[in-house]
Amino acid sequence: MSMFAPIPHAHDSRTPAPASGPTPTRASGPWRDAASRLLRSKTACAGLAILALLLTAALFADVLAPYDPVHDADLYNRLQPPSAEHWLGTDAQGRDIFSRILHGARISLEIGLVSVGISLILGTLLGAVSGYFGGTVDLVIMRLIDILLAFPSILLAIAIVAILGPDLINAMIAIGIVGIPQFARIVRSSVLAVKEMEFVDAARAIGASDARILFRHILPNCLAPILVQTTLSIGTAILDAAGLSFLGLGAQPPQPEWGLMLKEGQSAFQTAVWVVTFPGLAILLTVLGFNLLGDGLRDALDPRLKR
Amino acid sequence: MRKRGLLFALSLLLILATALAGCGTRETSAPNSSQPAINEGTGNTGGDQTLVFGRGSDSVGLDPANVTDGESMKVTHQIYDTLVQYNDEDTTVKPALATEWNVSEDGKVWTFKLREGVKFHDGTDFNADAVVFNFQRWMDKNHPYHHGDFEYYGYMFGGYPGIIEKVEKTGPYEVNITLKEPYAPFLQTLAMPAFAIASPEAIKKHGQDFFKNPVGTGPFIFKEWKKDDRIVLERNDNYWGEKAKIKTLIFRVIPDNAARFLELQAGTIDIMDGLNPEDVQNVKNNPDLQLILRPSMNVGYLAMNMDKKPFDNPKVRQAINHAINKQALIDAFYGGLAKPAKNPLPPTLWGYNDEIQDYEYNPEKAKALLAEAGYPNGFQTTLWAMPNPRPYMPQPQQIAQAIAADLAKVGIEAKIVSFEWGTYLEKTKNGEHDMALLGWTGDNGDPDNFLYVLLDKDNAVKGSAGNIAFYRSDELHEILIQAQRETDQKKREELYQKAQEIIHRDAPWVPLAHSTPPLAARAYVKNYVPHPTGSEALNKVDVQK
Repeated sequence: MSMFAPIPHAHDSRTPAPASGPTPTRASGPWRDAASRLLRSKTACAGLAILALLLTAALFADVLAPYDPVHDADLYNRLQPPSAEHWLGTDAQGRDIFSRILHGARISLEIGLVSVGISLILGTLLGAVSGYFGGTVDLVIMRLIDILLAFPSILLAIAIVAILGPDLINAMIAIGIVGIPQFARIVRSSVLAVKEMEFVDAARAIGASDARILFRHILPNCLAPILVQTTLSIGTAILDAAGLSFLGLGAQPPQPEWGLMLKEGQSAFQTAVWVVTFPGLAILLTVLGFNLLGDGLRDALDPRLKR
Repeated sequence: MRKRGLLFALSLLLILATALAGCGTRETSAPNSSQPAINEGTGNTGGDQTLVFGRGSDSVGLDPANVTDGESMKVTHQIYDTLVQYNDEDTTVKPALATEWNVSEDGKVWTFKLREGVKFHDGTDFNADAVVFNFQRWMDKNHPYHHGDFEYYGYMFGGYPGIIEKVEKTGPYEVNITLKEPYAPFLQTLAMPAFAIASPEAIKKHGQDFFKNPVGTGPFIFKEWKKDDRIVLERNDNYWGEKAKIKTLIFRVIPDNAARFLELQAGTIDIMDGLNPEDVQNVKNNPDLQLILRPSMNVGYLAMNMDKKPFDNPKVRQAINHAINKQALIDAFYGGLAKPAKNPLPPTLWGYNDEIQDYEYNPEKAKALLAEAGYPNGFQTTLWAMPNPRPYMPQPQQIAQAIAADLAKVGIEAKIVSFEWGTYLEKTKNGEHDMALLGWTGDNGDPDNFLYVLLDKDNAVKGSAGNIAFYRSDELHEILIQAQRETDQKKREELYQKAQEIIHRDAPWVPLAHSTPPLAARAYVKNYVPHPTGSEALNKVDVQK
């Protein structure tokens, strides 16, 4: 992860145009720069637009959805092609696919935020402690992380869900755990670079505690790579959760989860393509949105790419 | 990072492309199916035709006494004969290797007159010695050729030797079978493919390997077995009964239902079972194909665990019976290929009580009954559903959701629970469920095989329950035991009809459907008559191209 250059402290005058500051509120300059660079990128804007749509769907699903995603089932109106009444058609239970996709956006966003939240908090903590203290602590933590990394991520998630029991919450926990190593490694390498800076020595010289140095002085300077990783991880988490649900290990019927919708549409897809096409497109767009935004953020926050 | 992002996008595109390619395959295969089929062993006149049967998995073994799976029976049924056999369309017993039989006054001694002049495929004679040898091999654990488990013998006759006391030769073509006590389903049971008579010489010759070298008296002779690929049989020109119309019969293994259906459309197989309900319409729309329906001898049901509240209350159970729209379930998820069930017994079985009036679909009545039972606002519960399709319930996960939606309309909130198949069976046998979906396919055409196994209090034991409603009725138990001992068919019929009235009144289940498992064949396959037990002799089947 060396592509993230350690970002010097804001009041380090040697850097002519610092790309980032300790907190967004105080040093508006570098963040504003990054924001304007982000908005100049067409792909990042496309990502933002997709995510705005997703957010709208998730927040206002109750108002926007023409039907109830679970209870408005009608067996005599099943597997209907898209029409004025049902924009994206109906599924095997005769439920409105459009309404289910809107409500599914809420579930997907929840999955993304909760599971990445778990990876973010635990991964950052482990990586920061490991990088800051070094020595035996570093050795033990990083070997544990290596063990986690040795498993293919989806297999590890399947194993964890198998232990916890198939359920959406457990799937979120499993995906959260699987995502820890990436955060730990990124944060560790950033901390390793930042802790050698002079302002850290300065803080230590005036008698700041380890915790204060780590959380007030070092971590704020690692924000950029963490932000990028978070954005990208949400996309992956949503995809993994859809995968788990498709295997019957995540969301359980009748939840309107996209992966589960794909699974349920599977047996009918020779006769009713729309049953799998639209949930598949929803997953595709969402993950694409997060990835485009993540890539845009990475470019915008990397001072070396500044023109 | 950028690379990873691209990778995600690409893999997603790949998924979508695969899905779309799936649709493409469907379309491109259609023109193929309208062209003349390419088939192995073509010929113009009947007599040297080949029939290729596509199925989901291979036989376990070809020694019928030593297997329990339907895929083995499907093949051994062609190679062997039993003493008595079922009618082509039902489970009425008719002569086969035995031409006549009678039973003593006390119902304990059965005398069979055997068919003369029948030869095994290896040229040895079929006679009383062969019958005695086979029975002794099955029932005597110390018999020198008792290689294997002989599960079905133990299961049907209660151990080794179980209910059979002795089997004796009373003439060159006559045997006596003496039972320890009368056992009404005895003759029915002897017609099961598991109790086919094999050549004693071949058993002695092959020993442990007999299951790979089957020798019987049936309409087809075993030729070749390529494990997990195909079994090849050839016509027995010296068959005692109706000689086979086709010369070669091949059973091919194609595990995936959709792939097997594509092969049928392409004409590389002639007939298949395990058709997805969604494909039924595709078969009907294709003039080159025909749909063959296996008469149903099964029941798919919803069991309510009477050990748990509120299912101990008969009004609640009746309310749930009124709340479920069976016809809608069948139209949606069985491809219409099922009949709504009102009894645990399928209507094709003797003893079926057609007088019973089903609890009709009526959500209002259900709500009223729930209110009477003290649940005016319904309640919360769990609904267990098997993870995989079964012949009696092709789409259990979808059916569970539709039932949950029906129950929600009367105020019952049912959460759907599912486990891996083995765990599911274990947990339901332990009675861990509130409501659970399950089903049963009959194997000897006797009502005892349904009612006693699935609803008697003897089988409501936690850990090994066949009766997963944990319905314990002494009234029913007495009738079912009486029916086992009774040998007068008419009286047994009356007893089973009475039993169904009691079950209907107590409503431990919602009987859902008697499914009709679909087979699909090329239009030129003639006279294929599927049997309710799941396997049939194919000597009458013809290929007319």
